[in-house]
Amino acid sequence: MIEISGLTKRFGDLTAVDNLNLRVEKGEVLGFLGPNGAGKTTTVKIMSGLMYPTAGSVKLCGIDIVQNPVEAKRITALVPDEPFVYPKLSGVEFLHFTGDLYGVPADEQERRIPELLEMFDLVPWQSELLESYSHGMRQKLVIATMLLRKPKVVLLDEPMVGLDPKSARMVKTIIRDLAAAGATVFMCTHILEIAEKLCDRIGIMYGGKMIELGTMATLRAKTSQGLDAGDGRRISLEDVFLDLTSDRQFSSL
Amino acid sequence: MMPVLLKRRLQSSFNSFVSMQKWEFFVRMSFMAAGLAILCGMYFWFYRVLNYLYGISIIGQLLPWKLSSMAFLLMFSMVSISGLIAAMTTLYYSYDLKFLFSSPLSVRRIFFDKTVEASLYSSWTLAAVMVPYIFALGRVIGAGLFFYIYFLALLVPYVLLGAAFGIMLSLGLMYWFPTSRTRDIVWLLGSSAMIGAYMMLRFVQPERLTRPDALEVVSKYLQYLQAPTAKYLPSWWLVGGMQAFHYGRYGDFALCASGLVLSVFALYGLLVYFSKWAYMKGFSGAQEGMRQGPNKGFVEPLERKMIYTGMMETVQGTLLWKDRKLFMRDVRYWSQGALILAIMAVYLFSIRQLPLDSGDLKSLISFLNISVAGFVVASIGLRFTFPSISLEGKSFWILRSSPVSLRSVLKEKLVLWTLPSFLVGTVLVAWSNVLLGADAFISILSLFTIAVASIAFCFMGVGLGAVFPRFNVENIHQIESSAGGFIYMAACIGYLALVLVIESYPVRYHFMGRFYSNASPDWRLESLCALAYVALNAVAIVLPWKLGLKTLESCEI
Repeated sequence: MIEISGLTKRFGDLTAVDNLNLRVEKGEVLGFLGPNGAGKTTTVKIMSGLMYPTAGSVKLCGIDIVQNPVEAKRITALVPDEPFVYPKLSGVEFLHFTGDLYGVPADEQERRIPELLEMFDLVPWQSELLESYSHGMRQKLVIATMLLRKPKVVLLDEPMVGLDPKSARMVKTIIRDLAAAGATVFMCTHILEIAEKLCDRIGIMYGGKMIELGTMATLRAKTSQGLDAGDGRRISLEDVFLDLTSDRQFSSL
Repeated sequence: MMPVLLKRRLQSSFNSFVSMQKWEFFVRMSFMAAGLAILCGMYFWFYRVLNYLYGISIIGQLLPWKLSSMAFLLMFSMVSISGLIAAMTTLYYSYDLKFLFSSPLSVRRIFFDKTVEASLYSSWTLAAVMVPYIFALGRVIGAGLFFYIYFLALLVPYVLLGAAFGIMLSLGLMYWFPTSRTRDIVWLLGSSAMIGAYMMLRFVQPERLTRPDALEVVSKYLQYLQAPTAKYLPSWWLVGGMQAFHYGRYGDFALCASGLVLSVFALYGLLVYFSKWAYMKGFSGAQEGMRQGPNKGFVEPLERKMIYTGMMETVQGTLLWKDRKLFMRDVRYWSQGALILAIMAVYLFSIRQLPLDSGDLKSLISFLNISVAGFVVASIGLRFTFPSISLEGKSFWILRSSPVSLRSVLKEKLVLWTLPSFLVGTVLVAWSNVLLGADAFISILSLFTIAVASIAFCFMGVGLGAVFPRFNVENIHQIESSAGGFIYMAACIGYLALVLVIESYPVRYHFMGRFYSNASPDWRLESLCALAYVALNAVAIVLPWKLGLKTLESCEI
């Protein structure tokens, strides 16, 4: 479970996240959308302990990330938008390294790592140094490390970027499976189609504020177009997103 | 198109300048002041050496020119090697290359832009070092104003020519062996060549130049002095040309100077011409990842076995294993390791060559040797310990988001670097003491002092490295030469100075006791020294550590 209360982050004069309040339940997948610079990545960085909030708090399964970072991180998995990894470690070494860091028992690592490498088509590359991996391969490897440690909270920042169609489909299944197994999934994405299909609820950030939060049905009802897009088709998340964010952009001009 | 590329550089420089904070400006000014002070010091040192050589009867007039041609020849080779290493990074691995190659710019334009960058990077420091030499030489031989102007003007094509040779070699190597492995091999060979040049310079004993008796036949010596060092090399065009200018042989000077300038245009012209074919092939190959060979799977590391047996904590062992792997696989570390061994060899060789005959003088030198050995240990720390946190680089998010305390991360870096630092320091001092034949008191004192200093430097390196982390740098030199690196070195030098001051009191009484049997130390002052020593080490260890931990914990990525 994720509980965000009054979360604010300021960089000098700029307020990147402005008094964000949010609760994501166990087993829920929350899609976090917003235009560039809306404060999505900053929120994920605060939730994962890479940044400190200016005000407010984040609790992951009841553990405050600022007060008790080590324990909070032990149950959390982060997949960042840029999967920077140690270039001079091989794929299999990186998996063992993160396994050890998160305290995964060695016998479990021995059993799970070959499975994960197989799952992500990385077996032929397992002994290669990560400097020779493509962006997508590194992304798959970081996702594999997430599965190795069975997290209770999953923070995903654009997880599909760089993935091939097969891997992208597999990651979608993984996200649903993790949620079904009781994990709380918080996903930032710009791919609205994926958010629409995968997420139980969707939050839309704009200018550091959460301007809408709800299920697809609730969001549809809140748009100016109502439930119908006007051309005979049912309104999509893209319509909702543009309706909620574009007007504000123009009105600010 | 070229002005556009130039404009981006000028704009970036201008933006960095105007966005500079006050403290950054202050630090840069301090850097410049320290640099100028070093150059002034070098000027006086060069002047003393050249003036001494010039004053030697019969051969004095020849010696400064001979030394100059040797110095410029060495400098030329160093600029060439430096150019080779800089070109491998700048021409093939710069961040902006993918952007530039995807733009509608010709390969030749991109090559020229990057070549200018590589030439400047590889030559400006060495050129700066030669400026005080030129001024010292001019003063010793009583040269006129135009001597300085022409010499400094010709220094520019001279260093550019040296860099061009290095760039040419990198272009050829990457054309024939277009893989990322070539970069590693070049790095290793280039560094080895630098180390070789450094060791050769010391082991040929340049001090023998002032002793004709050291060469078997005096006529042979005179012949050696009169002969050009290497007539067909640019170093002779520069030094020979300036010698000709000084003695009024303007025709010879014009020939040498024009040879130098025309060679620069010719060589860079040829490089740009051939780059059309050679550069793209090398750049393409450089992007290919290095393959490891056969699939080896996972080999259980030693640290894991130590964790199982309870000899090591899990987090410490895991981080140590990771850092050991990264160290072993990064070829740049190997060359640095070789450089350390070379420094140690030259250091001990120089100690052995010291012309000391009195036992007390030898013991005194052993005591003062703490500062020199300490400086070597601090310099090694600047290369390894200080950058260890910054070298986590963009992968730092892995540790920052993992259930590992930053205290554990700092502790692991400390454990990793303390032993090598301790070994280098104690081996240098112990061996020096043996070579010098220092007495028991001084031997024990110096050994104890350097052992403690080595550990303190590791705390300072890790701590200050965490106070000034730079996770987004392109190469390690940017970390070393940063404001943090400067502060680390200043702190180490300050520590050594204070240690010598504190220990000078007991050492003074030790020597007095040898000359005057009734000399007895003041135990209150002795105790005060011991207290000051403990306090100094406590501050040197605790303060950077606490500051580093606090800064790293508040660091946002």
